[in-house]
Amino acid sequence: MYNPLLELARWLQDTSLRLDLSQSTWGVPIIGAIHVLAIAWFGGSVLLNDSRLRRFRWIGLAILLITGALLFWSQPLRLYYSQFFRLKIVLMMLTIGTALLPARYDRLAMALALVLWAAVIFASRGIAYR
Amino acid sequence: MPLENSWVFPVVESIHVIGLAAFVGTVILSDLRTLGLLQFSDTRNLKVWTHSGLAVMISTGLGMFFADSARYLQNPAFHVKAALLVLALAAHFTLRRSGTRFAAILSLTLWTCVVLAARAIADFDV
Repeated sequence: MYNPLLELARWLQDTSLRLDLSQSTWGVPIIGAIHVLAIAWFGGSVLLNDSRLRRFRWIGLAILLITGALLFWSQPLRLYYSQFFRLKIVLMMLTIGTALLPARYDRLAMALALVLWAAVIFASRGIAYR
Repeated sequence: MPLENSWVFPVVESIHVIGLAAFVGTVILSDLRTLGLLQFSDTRNLKVWTHSGLAVMISTGLGMFFADSARYLQNPAFHVKAALLVLALAAHFTLRRSGTRFAAILSLTLWTCVVLAARAIADFDV
């Protein structure tokens, strides 16, 4: 059966960028470190619910997604088969889903998003081990 | 790691990262505000997240360290992190109270370096 996600992971696996990333000594550690710094950047701005931080928050999220995509690119097939990575993606989608809740569930959406972000972090750490 | 095949270590590590989001996240915000690069109110929440985040990070951090102290002590990245952490904490509880621009820049630099060194612990693990 044709599996577009697996095909994408296979295609990424064969790109020269994947080779460069996985063979460089400092590439993945540095991108990983920036990813962790972006967790702090984004996390802090989410905890303080001030609308003036909106742009700051989006920049943090953008850095998270870009470094995250590069980390994925460094080992696409391993992550494709990682149960924790799959869990992480599902949890991230659910987190995004909380933004779609109607405005009157604002507080519920915020609490859900915080719990889900924490769950995303648990799943992410799991990837390193399994 | 003696806990290598246990779920305990990854869980404690995850809680450490959640503490990082709260602690380092709010420290970055307040330093950027000191530098005039950001504007926001909500200072009471800010302090609560900073302090609870720090408490979570220190307790989980000590837990992970004592789970296998011998292994950490021979890791060069851990030495760098420990030294930077002492400096960052000292600056946090002394200079940073002054609220000067210098203290804010120092705080941002030190905590960034602590995170970089911390991440490197896994890369220097033997």
